[in-house]
Amino acid sequence: MMPDTTAYFHAAYIVAAVLYGGYTLSLWLRARKLRQRLGQRSSRG
Amino acid sequence: MTASPAGEGSTPRPVFDWLIWLALAAVAGAYIRAIFFTPPEALQGYAQKIYYIHVSAALNAYLAFGVVFVASIVHLWLGDVRADRLAEASAEVGLLFTTVVLTTGPMWARPIWGTWWTWDARLTATLFLWFLYASYLVLRGAIDDPHMRARYSAVTGIMGAILIPFIHLSVYLFRTLHPMPILLKPSAPSMPGDMVETFLIAWVAFTLLCIALLRARYRYGELKERAAMLEAGR
Repeated sequence: MMPDTTAYFHAAYIVAAVLYGGYTLSLWLRARKLRQRLGQRSSRG
Repeated sequence: MTASPAGEGSTPRPVFDWLIWLALAAVAGAYIRAIFFTPPEALQGYAQKIYYIHVSAALNAYLAFGVVFVASIVHLWLGDVRADRLAEASAEVGLLFTTVVLTTGPMWARPIWGTWWTWDARLTATLFLWFLYASYLVLRGAIDDPHMRARYSAVTGIMGAILIPFIHLSVYLFRTLHPMPILLKPSAPSMPGDMVETFLIAWVAFTLLCIALLRARYRYGELKERAAMLEAGR
């Protein structure tokens, strides 16, 4: 009989999605913060 | 040192563009294919499907650290700041993929081996690789002088990547619990055709994601240098 290992499979796919999504989001947030800083600098002249 | 294209005159490029959307769509497609359209394996059950994301992540970690290796050599040879920027971006992305390897692996090991972790050669060497590139990024953050930072981290980046062939061959060199390669071996794949197809789809999708993240992180590096130059009043 096939063992029930579904929970581990679901957990692994969720963890991978969270890691990839979290990194992409962190990169987007870091870039947005930098752009805001650059924008403030250029508007001050 | 070669001039940087992140110079003050030009408009900064967007960090994310169409490539990230294409990559995310491909990854979503790979997830759907693996979850809904690939049968579970008879002996391991659904946990076998972890293979598709675990091995794809491992191969892309190798790819990213391979880029660090080449870019670091190019930087030491030619002194090109773009190579240093590429190495930094690739190390961060490689660390992400290694983190996925080190978290999804134990989730497969727990039901199959009966333990989350064992100190066998491949697992220990992969953990060591993670620490090496984590310290590479810490080192970069700790050195203010850009020339010194680039040179020291290039040496660290090259040393770290030397570990990769050792990790890949560790299952042949040592007695280990980790399974032997199922696809990347001289003989025919030890998996049915539809599982091989799912793996290849996942591999392509995650490679696309790796390239998209690498490009985005490289552009973020350009932006960071531009901000640093402006703040230094140059």
